[in-house]
Amino acid sequence: MNDSVIPVVEKYIASQILKQPNRTLQPAEPLISSGLVDSFSLMDLALFVEDTFGVRIEDTELNANTFDNLAQLASLIESRLSK
Amino acid sequence: MTIFQIGILAFIAIGIGQLHKGRELALLAFSAFVIYWLQPPQQFVSLAFWLPAATLGLTVILWALTSTPESLSWKQNWPAAMILAGVTILVALNRYFGLEQVYMTTTPPLLQVAVVVFILVGLTIALARSRAVRPAVYWLALVGLIVLFILLKTPYFVNHLFGFVKAVQAGDAEPKQAILSWLGFSYVAFRLIHTIRDRQSGRLPSVTLGEYVNYVIFFPAFTAGPIDRIERFVLELRSPVSLARQDWVEAGTRFFVGLFKKFVLADALAVIALNDILVTQVKSAGWMWFFLYAYSLRIYFDFSGYTDIAIGLARVLGIRLPENFAAPYLKPNLTQFWNSWHMTLTQWFRAYFFNPLTRAMRSSKISWPVPVIILITQAAAMVLIGLWHGVTWGFALWGLWHGLGLFVQNRWSEWARGKQPSWLQTRAGAMIFNAAGVFLTFNFVSLGWLFFTLSTPDLSWSAFQVLFGFAK
Repeated sequence: MNDSVIPVVEKYIASQILKQPNRTLQPAEPLISSGLVDSFSLMDLALFVEDTFGVRIEDTELNANTFDNLAQLASLIESRLSK
Repeated sequence: MTIFQIGILAFIAIGIGQLHKGRELALLAFSAFVIYWLQPPQQFVSLAFWLPAATLGLTVILWALTSTPESLSWKQNWPAAMILAGVTILVALNRYFGLEQVYMTTTPPLLQVAVVVFILVGLTIALARSRAVRPAVYWLALVGLIVLFILLKTPYFVNHLFGFVKAVQAGDAEPKQAILSWLGFSYVAFRLIHTIRDRQSGRLPSVTLGEYVNYVIFFPAFTAGPIDRIERFVLELRSPVSLARQDWVEAGTRFFVGLFKKFVLADALAVIALNDILVTQVKSAGWMWFFLYAYSLRIYFDFSGYTDIAIGLARVLGIRLPENFAAPYLKPNLTQFWNSWHMTLTQWFRAYFFNPLTRAMRSSKISWPVPVIILITQAAAMVLIGLWHGVTWGFALWGLWHGLGLFVQNRWSEWARGKQPSWLQTRAGAMIFNAAGVFLTFNFVSLGWLFFTLSTPDLSWSAFQVLFGFAK
């Protein structure tokens, strides 16, 4: 499952947020704490995840403590999908 | 807080941390006592009792409103209710013990007051057991808290209120400059709002009265934060404390580093830090920058020192408070500065203001241009963070300064994305770029402090003129 979530989110972040479609992101690469994804783009990311996977990410969860990299975000999505 | 008071807090924290049974209740009793103990004296003497009593009353009421049915039984909650009432009565009884000089700044009012508070606690619990809270009540509680917050933080309202009370009491209609200092209220209110909002979204964990009040008034973080989240705090409160030697070393280091920052560095810098008087006397740009930098360092060491003390104290109680500062003055841009300055407050605003507003604008039928959304959300969030410190022009302008700064930086990074020249890719180039960013950010933040620390925008403007050499 992880295998299918990560590439989709990675592609979105690289092309839509970083505007560098060819950029690859490591699963453990910090996104929020590093400033790569700013607070405005983070909301776009949440809306994209909600639309694509049909899971809800709360406003209070959009911070580096909940998820800070692709792997953590993927597990969050999966844990909600399996419910 | 004096160093003597902090010493007592540390001593008691170590004692409570050692308890195997009854840690939660001992912590509750001491935190409740600390609220009364540290409350500064007020112009109206009895307020020194009423304000802490109101903090407790408000917290108990909000627990009753936000708690889930399974945590409302009298059986689980009576020890905590008794402790809160007991501490309040003990404080009021102090007039008979004659210990005013030792632990209270004023003589507390009559026993009746304690009885009233006791009834309040008892009634609330009785109410809580038999009610089903309607959604509108949460909104009412939210609005009530925010209105109370605004009234208390607005000097205009406080002055008029005090003038009015004085006029009634003494027939003296002359309103005087008055300061109402409700210790810890800014932080308490934000913790309460967090629990209401999370209750509304169904995310608030089920907590007992003792756990809830402990979270809101936890004594290490009561006066100056950090603002923890209740679900995290309660997990640690429930698990037994087991401190290895390494934990003691870390807690002790944090505590003493905090004392050093606050009482040595910050207090020494206070002598040369920019203030209302200095600003009217200094005529040279160089000295003005010097005093301004001294202020920037002073406010950092003061605030982060308090945070270190709080984190150290909490650690021996088995609670790992969240970090509030992460070397903010060494950050290369304003966004990263705000990710590392008073972090728990900015996270709070992100969770309960910035994100909901951004979500609403992003998902609304009107397709707002991205820069407009960023400008509105950043500026509004930062102005509100400013006003959290007090409803004055200075704090509003300080917030706006940072809001606009964040917007400009955001647009610039957006524009510069993918346009990095080749020299920037080298190690030396990246280092120089980083250093320039740190320098620029520190100076931008320092200039912002002019609005924050000087009492009127006129003074801030005159300091600006001197700093940039165009004073008349």
